[in-house]
Amino acid sequence: MKILHLYHDLMNLYGDYANLSALCRILEQNGVDYTVDRLSLGDTPVLSDYDFIYIGSGSEENMRLALSHLSSFKNELKDYIEKGGFALFTGNSFEMLGESINGPWGDVKGLGICDFTVTQQDTVRTTSDAIFLSEEVEQPLVGFVNKCSEICGVKAPLFTVEMGLGNTKTEKSEGIRVNNSFGTHLTGPLLVKNPHFLEFLASSLCHKPMDSSAFVYEKAAYNITLEKLRERI
Amino acid sequence: MKRFLSIVICKLLRIIGKAVGKGSSLPGKFALKVCPDVLARVKMPRYVIAVTGSNGKTSTVEMLAKILTDGGFKVAYNREGSNQIEGVTTFVLCSSTLSGRVKGDVLLIESDERYAKYTFKHFAPTHYVITNLYRDQLTRNGHPMWVYNAISKSIREESRLILNADDPLVSLFGKDKPDTVWFGVDRLPTDTDKPDSVYNDGVYCPCCHGKMEYSTHHYSHIGHYRCTACDYARQATSYTVTEADLDEGYAVINGQGRIDLALKSLYNIYNLLAAYTVASLLGMKGGDIATAINNYTLKNGRVVTFTLGGRRGTLLVSKHENSISYNQSIALAAADEAGSDVLIIVDAISRKYFTGDVSWLYDIDFHRLASDNVKSIILAGTYANDLAARFTYTDIDSNKIKVTESIDTAVEMLDAGQNRQIYVITCFSDKGKFMERVKVD
Repeated sequence: MKILHLYHDLMNLYGDYANLSALCRILEQNGVDYTVDRLSLGDTPVLSDYDFIYIGSGSEENMRLALSHLSSFKNELKDYIEKGGFALFTGNSFEMLGESINGPWGDVKGLGICDFTVTQQDTVRTTSDAIFLSEEVEQPLVGFVNKCSEICGVKAPLFTVEMGLGNTKTEKSEGIRVNNSFGTHLTGPLLVKNPHFLEFLASSLCHKPMDSSAFVYEKAAYNITLEKLRERI
Repeated sequence: MKRFLSIVICKLLRIIGKAVGKGSSLPGKFALKVCPDVLARVKMPRYVIAVTGSNGKTSTVEMLAKILTDGGFKVAYNREGSNQIEGVTTFVLCSSTLSGRVKGDVLLIESDERYAKYTFKHFAPTHYVITNLYRDQLTRNGHPMWVYNAISKSIREESRLILNADDPLVSLFGKDKPDTVWFGVDRLPTDTDKPDSVYNDGVYCPCCHGKMEYSTHHYSHIGHYRCTACDYARQATSYTVTEADLDEGYAVINGQGRIDLALKSLYNIYNLLAAYTVASLLGMKGGDIATAINNYTLKNGRVVTFTLGGRRGTLLVSKHENSISYNQSIALAAADEAGSDVLIIVDAISRKYFTGDVSWLYDIDFHRLASDNVKSIILAGTYANDLAARFTYTDIDSNKIKVTESIDTAVEMLDAGQNRQIYVITCFSDKGKFMERVKVD
């Protein structure tokens, strides 16, 4: 299992790195061998070499830097995603996949892998605790959204919003899914906070059921957070 | 007339508010309704000193008030820490005569970093201290660069900036302001050549985004840096901690005399240095400043000592959603060679708003509690399981860790424990829940 953590030093704003800590742990506990490469600006990743690619969230400036670098590999990434490669983009990193990103930090072209457009503003930070429903897992996901953008025109969203911010102010859907690549504005270690989603992701990735019974604290924490969030609806 | 009315209303509401135990922002709120630009209409004293930044505002302001008062200045400051425009209005108007003149020589303002732009629209500080920019309350603040942009809108041309040269993001405020005064810390024995925190916000230049190079790291992204791609680099400092010993607990500023520290932490030294810098700029002599602040114990309740049964303890108030604040407390607890038990409580993440987000736990250097000095760790509160999950990603022996959601149970565990020093690490939002169960000194 070859894992690529892209922009680990640039797009790691909310403890996002821990998504990979959790993934590595479940692989380890289930006897799956893996390696992790951490690459960033200035590196030349060979995307087709990998089984899983992860990018976390960053400031609006840093996301543009990542996008500018990743644009050199956009055909490779498109190919990777279209062929069913596994990837997870959390926070604003999935905004890079669209057609365009406009906002006070400059208007730039996206990677063009998806046909949504992103509009940012710099006056209000929109944040919310979140409960998102997924078709893939029985239980909802919990987490936090922290953004300044609206993402318009997502045709295949990842989640349905029970609580929190969706792709736009009015839509009750969130994130994006293309084959085995997942994008969501949930920030931070969502694979720690949602051990059932971690189990789903790892099982899909390894084409065999993964056991997550050792994630005892994570499961207890998940239940409490879900309960606390639902009290607020 | 509107100004007069606004001041009268503010003073009256403050008196009533104090009598019924209400906070200090309401009077200012009403005063601003009566006269929205009242802050522009009062006559400010000769010195208007503002302090903002992520951490250390309250401590810096408190120490500076102590130094200046000892130096014979008449100082008005927002000691209650209401630092948004309403709270600042309350304390400015309550410090004014009815004719609208702020009494005293110095108005000293702790200002919220996101709201400073509203306050300083009405008047310009003569001296504007920016302490640091860290990941702080990101569920509200977005990220440090977002806060940077908010602060930059609060900086007035006529204000003299006093900046932490060791913080590359803060230093960017002074890049094109040649009259900026820089303070910083020389290389210390506790420094590291490589960053040793779980995240690093100093990898890229805040100016050109090139790779940065550090000759020394004090902690996190605080240190001596230079960009490898442009000419952005740490500025030479006029006010410098030239020597510091955290074990013994003293610091030396500009090579002159030693200042003993009641709170033996580098973070405290920065606050002290910022206060020292401003007092010097107001004409005080180094020796007098040192005397005023020597062995000074902060009164702001950030460090509280207590007794639990036969055991002694120290509560280190740390900010939830603020990794550097936690790291400071962790460093203090881990440094106690006499051995200690540590209790960490995360029960309500904020006292001002609700969030269930625990992402910030992954930015804290909990691995530093792996020290042999720390004999056991109790994790408590609603989010005890989240803490416990976080600790599984450190190499701390799991046999040392106990987990309970109940703060009562946590206190009972400590009470039944061995007679060692206790360190409690938690936030304002959860402090009371522990303090009511022990005997505060």
